[in-house]
Amino acid sequence: MIVTPKIFARLAAIAIVAVLLQLSFFSRVELIHTSADILPVVVASLGLLGGSLTGAVTGFSVGFLVDCLLVAPLGGSSLVLLGAGYLAGLFRERFDIHSALVPPLLCMGLTLLVELGFGVEQVMLGVDAPVSVLIVRDMLLKSVYAFFLAWPIYFGLRRLLRPALVEEPKLARRRQPTVLGA
Amino acid sequence: MYRKQVRRRRAALTLLILGSFLLLTITYGQDSGGVQRSVSTVFSPLQTVSDRALKPARDLVGWFDKTFDARGENSRLEAELVTARRQAVAGQEALQENAQLRRLVELDRGPALAESAYRPVTGRVIARSPTVWDSTVAIDVGSGDGVEVDDPVISGDGLVGLVASTQGGSSQVTLITDHASAVSAKVVPGGVQGVIRPDVGDPEDLILDFIDSTRDVHGGQSVVTSGWRAEGLASLFPPGLPVGEVTSASIVEQEASQQVHLRPYADIANLDLVQVLTGGSRR
Repeated sequence: MIVTPKIFARLAAIAIVAVLLQLSFFSRVELIHTSADILPVVVASLGLLGGSLTGAVTGFSVGFLVDCLLVAPLGGSSLVLLGAGYLAGLFRERFDIHSALVPPLLCMGLTLLVELGFGVEQVMLGVDAPVSVLIVRDMLLKSVYAFFLAWPIYFGLRRLLRPALVEEPKLARRRQPTVLGA
Repeated sequence: MYRKQVRRRRAALTLLILGSFLLLTITYGQDSGGVQRSVSTVFSPLQTVSDRALKPARDLVGWFDKTFDARGENSRLEAELVTARRQAVAGQEALQENAQLRRLVELDRGPALAESAYRPVTGRVIARSPTVWDSTVAIDVGSGDGVEVDDPVISGDGLVGLVASTQGGSSQVTLITDHASAVSAKVVPGGVQGVIRPDVGDPEDLILDFIDSTRDVHGGQSVVTSGWRAEGLASLFPPGLPVGEVTSASIVEQEASQQVHLRPYADIANLDLVQVLTGGSRR
């Protein structure tokens, strides 16, 4: 990704809108007693589009903003989300994305990883209260929601950041052999 | 050239990770100072606007969710109504008896009067934490409205939480389902006292701990804040705030206590309007 000042402004706007949407909407609506988390999806999508450095920096910034707005200990969300962004970027740098299913599946996996990361972080920092097994259901459902939300988010972000993306040679569509006159 | 790029990337990643750890070390368990307050103050109007704008969409999704949940809820509510009617009749009798006893001993101060020392400030929830590990919400009233840290927060149904921090026009509330929350409470009728702690990951279940196993606690009983006061120390919550209803009680193996599970009265997952009880007699 070629980050010009204009693209930087777009990335910042995407991060702010994503955080506001998450805190004001997605965290406050529940389906089957679980709310969706779009932040890992946005960070992973940006990592997939821009590479590991863009993913890590976006993850750190998004996490920092969330912690600031919720007055949580700074650095907690940043640490987990920068990991997701970096891994998504690393995937893009190492492998080709051949199928449209890859981004949603990757977002799903990374969301699960992020939720596990939050859990590990909380356990390391000390949880005084008992932990319900329902938290596993919450993590799994969040990653399923991430799979479905990744479609509009990834392809929407790709459209929004198209001027900055390094063009990849499009795979030539194989033309099916046709019979003359058919 | 490629190696240089890789080195630069790794250096940036290391820097970000170290930065996160540093921030976490500095700010964990203490006031993080001006940065968070400034960012929160700047974004507070934006959060309020997005909260209002997205309310119809939230209501729509909530309507679908609640419609699915409503199945099976009806029979449970009917059973609860029968119990509630019996309790209401018993309550009326108790009120009459109480009034007579008050006149007898000339008591003129009760829990209701103590509560009146609080000045309720109504606020709207504008943000909520994305993970179930941290149950916090942001509300659109702050120190400018008289809200202070440790003020109790209630909804129309019962206790919701405690103010954790305030800015000029917004505050952060730690909900009773947060892992750091602990509320001293008692079971009524009976007066059995304990401490309410959350069951992290399940917002519809709270645990009333440290209850003597010999005391009889059963489903359907109400749990309210105990609001103790001793030797210059006082509970952060006024007495008598409804918290939840007992769903089950089980004796903890090899311990002389029982764990009581309760369902909070307040709809913690769908909070919208709340009241902060400012002022209060503890100060």
